[in-house]
Amino acid sequence: MTEVFQFGVEPITCHAWNKERTKLALSLNDNEVNIYSRQPGTGDWVLEHTLSGHDLRVTGVDWAPNTNRIVTCSADRNAYVWCQDESGKWSPTLVLLRINRAATCVRWSPQENKFAVGSGARLISVCYFEQENNWWVSKHIKKPIRSTITTLDWHPNNILLAAGSSDFKVRIFSAWIKDIEPKPSATSWGAKMPLGQLMTEFSNSTGGGGWVHGVSFSCDGNRVCWVGHDSSVSVADASREMAKTQLKTPHLPFTAVTWISKNTLLAAGHGCCPMVYAVEDSGKLTFVSKLDVAQKKEASSLSAMRKFKSLDRTARTDSSDTTLATLHQNTITGIQILKGDKAGATSVSTCGSDSYLILWNFKSLEESIAELKLA
Amino acid sequence: MTPVVVSRNEKERVLIEPSINSLRVSIAIKQADDIERILCHKFMRFLMMRADNFIILRRKPVEGYNISFLITNFHTEQMYKHKLVDFVIHFMEEIDKEISEMKLAVNARARECALEYLKRF
Repeated sequence: MTEVFQFGVEPITCHAWNKERTKLALSLNDNEVNIYSRQPGTGDWVLEHTLSGHDLRVTGVDWAPNTNRIVTCSADRNAYVWCQDESGKWSPTLVLLRINRAATCVRWSPQENKFAVGSGARLISVCYFEQENNWWVSKHIKKPIRSTITTLDWHPNNILLAAGSSDFKVRIFSAWIKDIEPKPSATSWGAKMPLGQLMTEFSNSTGGGGWVHGVSFSCDGNRVCWVGHDSSVSVADASREMAKTQLKTPHLPFTAVTWISKNTLLAAGHGCCPMVYAVEDSGKLTFVSKLDVAQKKEASSLSAMRKFKSLDRTARTDSSDTTLATLHQNTITGIQILKGDKAGATSVSTCGSDSYLILWNFKSLEESIAELKLA
Repeated sequence: MTPVVVSRNEKERVLIEPSINSLRVSIAIKQADDIERILCHKFMRFLMMRADNFIILRRKPVEGYNISFLITNFHTEQMYKHKLVDFVIHFMEEIDKEISEMKLAVNARARECALEYLKRF
């Protein structure tokens, strides 16, 4: 069952779920993050807490499932880590990112002992908690980033970080913090991993072009997929010597992408409709299906009346609707896996600029859409 | 992103300059003779003086063009993207029609005035 929820009229910039998927943290294009909880009886969303601390628009939210901490980053060049105490109140701790431009995205690492913040200052701040001084400290990854970091994703080994940027490149860095974790073992991306080491760099296109909007590591960490502003979806495979395949789609550019199984991706963006793509073992990308199969609008006998009504009211003869055929009415800004994980997701949530949050259930969608086969 | 020019011929062009959070669309309108040039100039000036009401209109056109729109991320957050596109296209379709109508009206009035005046002689 596809569930649609509307949270006001402002665009939803970003959202994150807690571990049990009973609470939702989202930001409505302002400097606060709202935490909603789902009423068990009616299924409605009730505003529980408002996290206000930022001065400018909140650009990223992430909720660490196991340690129950929320990290938020904002255009005011700050990030806060929010912890909930016994009474349920959330209190912030400032993180010194030491950036002189806005922060654009934030992600907790898989083991939740550190997080990475991308920024317009052309660097990534990897932050960890220093016990002796009781504060969050950041280490910078600067070279060779040439422009704003727009998107981040962690490798399952808690060390490698994929970063997409508006200089048309996707880079895999090592974010190994000596103080908090042991030396990592070699992966298919490389063996030597000091902090800030560039493992590989991928260009979105040979002509140079297409800001990278979303990046995602696969569940085993051997493949990374990204979407760019040139309406393309690309996959690079470390186990096949960094082979990169790209598919140029006829749709509007995507803004977010995630793996939903070992061989399938879900991408969504300006076209307002999530699309499923399959990746074969050879690396070939194929389009599988849209998730949003439009319900046919009945063009009934009332169309003549509607035509004259619209002629009278708006002096227009065409009765084209304002509403789009898709469920989302404006750009989709984020995708989060609701149930399952990147190896096999059964449900995802998408948030959009139309202030809708839509929960997509793959089982029921697989039954209703013939071509959709999620393996 | 690289600017794109879509043109029917040398006189009629549309320049689209996108950037990461906004878009500038500039239109060069076909002006075949002096009357059309004057009418176009006055018409565009009329619209551009009321740019606040149009929201996405710029008060000054880009060099070499007659009218410019600036659409930012704030506009796409508040308004439907597909309706913005519809608006710009509708606008472009209407401009040529309006200017031709105005030219016909000017010529008709001129003829009427001359007729009335010369009746005396």
